[in-house]
Amino acid sequence: MSFREKSAWISFICILIFGTLYGWHAVDVEWLHARNGNSVAYVFGTMAALVALEIALHVAIAVQSPRDARTPKDEREKLIDLRASRVAFYVLFIGTLASLGLGMHLPGANRFLMAQLLMSAIITTLLVRFGVQIVLYRRDA
Amino acid sequence: MAKAIQNNIRRLRFDRKEMTQQELADRIGVTRQTVNAIELGKYSPSLEIAFRISEVFGVPLDQVFQYR
Repeated sequence: MSFREKSAWISFICILIFGTLYGWHAVDVEWLHARNGNSVAYVFGTMAALVALEIALHVAIAVQSPRDARTPKDEREKLIDLRASRVAFYVLFIGTLASLGLGMHLPGANRFLMAQLLMSAIITTLLVRFGVQIVLYRRDA
Repeated sequence: MAKAIQNNIRRLRFDRKEMTQQELADRIGVTRQTVNAIELGKYSPSLEIAFRISEVFGVPLDQVFQYR
């Protein structure tokens, strides 16, 4: 497995973990009213921890294959990035429109719900971007 | 039947004392995985990379890639 593919896997898994924790917390706070803690601190704390984890894992794979890590992306890898970003763009576009529509028209909708829907769209976009990269790297392997 | 780009990179590497994919990758400025993808016909390189490959092997482009 190439350095770039490992990198895509790391980002995908870290975002998946963050999305799961974030979604769980949002459901707890909004619908179950189970937590009274500081949501902003929780979200930013989780995000910071996962960014640190992602950096640590990237350092680990760079140490494992330093030459690959130093090599700039070649034309095939840039093309994979572009294809993944194109698919992710449509997901973000549709996700944002759907969030705005649902946030404005769902009965009982409020700013909190709209923010959660937008955050879900962003997380989904990132998952799709790295997911498509993984699929394209696997297809060429 | 639809035409496709085929290549002789595996044979040309074999003729050059089993040049490794990594060695070829280093000489043309791509990753080993990209050389592998080109060799297996899963990725069609740009003209520039195609010319670099033919230059490394010292043969004309049509001896490396064919469209048939």
